[in-house]
Amino acid sequence: MNKPTPIPAIEIEELTKEFTIGSTTVRALRGVTTTISGGSFQFVLGPSGSGKSTLLYLLGALDRPTTGSITIDGRKVNELSRDDQDRFRRHEVGFVFQSFNLLGNLTAVENVLAPFLPIGVSADLRQRADHLIEQVGLGDRRHHRPRELSGGEQQRVAIARALLKQPKLVLADEPTGELDHKTGGEVMGYLRGLREEQGTTVVVVTHDESYIEPGDKILRLLDGQVVSNPQSGNSPAETPTGK
Amino acid sequence: MWRFAIQNLVSRPLRSLLALAGLSVAIAGMVGLFSVAEGIDRMVTDTFSRIPGLAMMQAGAPLPLFSRMPAAWAEEIEQVDGVRVVNPEVWSRVNVIEGKRVIAPPRFLFGTNIATRQKLETDVYRDAMVDGRFLDGTDRNQLHAVISRQIAEDNNVGVDDKLSINGDDFRIVGIYHCGQLMLDVSIIVDIDLLRRQIRFDRDSVCAYYIEPDGTVENDVLVKQIRELFKGREIQSTGNIAGAIATGNPLIDLLLAIQNWLAGGTRSSTGIATDADAEPVEVRTANDWAERFDEFSTDLNLFLGVMTGIGVVIAVLSIINTMLMSVTERIIEFGILKANGWGRRDVVMLITCESAVLGVSGGVIGCLLGWIGTDIINSTWPDRLQLYASPSLLAFSLIFSTTLGITGGLYPATWAMRLSPMEAIRRG
Repeated sequence: MNKPTPIPAIEIEELTKEFTIGSTTVRALRGVTTTISGGSFQFVLGPSGSGKSTLLYLLGALDRPTTGSITIDGRKVNELSRDDQDRFRRHEVGFVFQSFNLLGNLTAVENVLAPFLPIGVSADLRQRADHLIEQVGLGDRRHHRPRELSGGEQQRVAIARALLKQPKLVLADEPTGELDHKTGGEVMGYLRGLREEQGTTVVVVTHDESYIEPGDKILRLLDGQVVSNPQSGNSPAETPTGK
Repeated sequence: MWRFAIQNLVSRPLRSLLALAGLSVAIAGMVGLFSVAEGIDRMVTDTFSRIPGLAMMQAGAPLPLFSRMPAAWAEEIEQVDGVRVVNPEVWSRVNVIEGKRVIAPPRFLFGTNIATRQKLETDVYRDAMVDGRFLDGTDRNQLHAVISRQIAEDNNVGVDDKLSINGDDFRIVGIYHCGQLMLDVSIIVDIDLLRRQIRFDRDSVCAYYIEPDGTVENDVLVKQIRELFKGREIQSTGNIAGAIATGNPLIDLLLAIQNWLAGGTRSSTGIATDADAEPVEVRTANDWAERFDEFSTDLNLFLGVMTGIGVVIAVLSIINTMLMSVTERIIEFGILKANGWGRRDVVMLITCESAVLGVSGGVIGCLLGWIGTDIINSTWPDRLQLYASPSLLAFSLIFSTTLGITGGLYPATWAMRLSPMEAIRRG
């Protein structure tokens, strides 16, 4: 497997996002400015409703900000055309969700290949998918459907799906939220291994600070604003306490 | 993509089967309904292709049964260049066979002039004899008849058996089999005998069958004959309705109206009248077939409306199925979009699913329709002749596929517009 070139820093400038729910306007992000170092393991922390997941989805071009910009690899992601955003997600970003979000009708290996179904699955891709399934310890369960897998196994399939595209950026939204601490630790281990082996930038949104290790970057949000941003100089880099 | 689409359908078996059943029934119904029109078209085409000559009837009469013309006109027609044989015909509906009322399928007593009939080079009935013999000189004024194999089987009679028709015992001298509903309804007897039996004016006929000798184009011949009788008036004799009272109230009413329109009880002597009036219609088999085409166009319109109702229900069923399926899978589409699926890809997936329903429904519907027409044809061979042609089946299949795709487009567009972020948040 070729090692992808790590992306340079992700520049986030004055990012705002507003949602309208009925007649109410919710301001999920209120001018977030920060930099995420390329090849870093970045935690985004904060209470519910602080805007963590919104920031993550905007980084992954799943939505467009109301104002502000996100620059990844020299491109303003928020200004990409819809097709380019699709390509960006298909080839450069891997998502890992709290509730695994596998497709129930597909087997484990088919779920890994799901991003490539519209453009066709080559023999090489299939081989890589098989290899990844084995890497995450599910070699004997590759033809099982999600309902036949445990939570931890499903999350490993989701990680394999994110890894198949050899992403420059992995965005994980509460990836351990539905797992016990031991399984959560294993999942976090896979993500850390990805960063170490391939230099992938990993951004993890979580409530659980026990997975933070020395050297990890931390961004704290509250009410859609950065309250602690070690890379912007607002506060010293938080010293992760580790597990 | 297709495999994924099929897996998605299979994962919701009940809903998919119900949508499939709805579409299959609609397509089967469409095949069945249009096979009626195609059956008629085919029957008419086949029937008239066997009749190479011209038919002459009273202007406006829809069938020979309702037509009256002077018998003396036969000699005049024979004098027209290009005419080989003129065969006068008298028709009457059969009311009772073997003591049983005849309603459907109808049967007709067909009185033919045996002498001129024998001169015909091509005779659709004589050429279709399967048992016994056709009428000859020995059958004149005799209660002798040639019947179709269908009538013989229905009444369990054969050659030399007696068959009671309208209360008279006819001896069966021959059996024919044309294999066509429109032809196999006739019981062929001597014309003079029939006139007496039904008290039909001996100086009148219902129609003439004119066999050309091939020296003149049919169109020219038709024009010559029409010119010959232009300006003459047909005056009926006796009470036509009474003469051929059928026992069928509807037909009797039509006959009474026609009789009244024709001038009541006057005789059909062919008196000169308005110089431009044309008292007769002379048509080739193709002309008659075209006349039937007009009828089948209206029938097609009616059948189209009937089919349309079924099709609308089927389309709504597909839209409902796909919409519910899409609604349930909002999160799934969010995941797919998060993994790089574009809006077009999502539309393609949903459209593939509905297309699979459309194709499957089409195949099953066509198969059901085709089997259905076959069963109907073999169950009622003397009443219905349905025909599901390969082009009808192909059209139905394409139509069904188009319906499936169309039915999936709205749900697909709806899913396409979903924000992936919103969809995933719902999860």
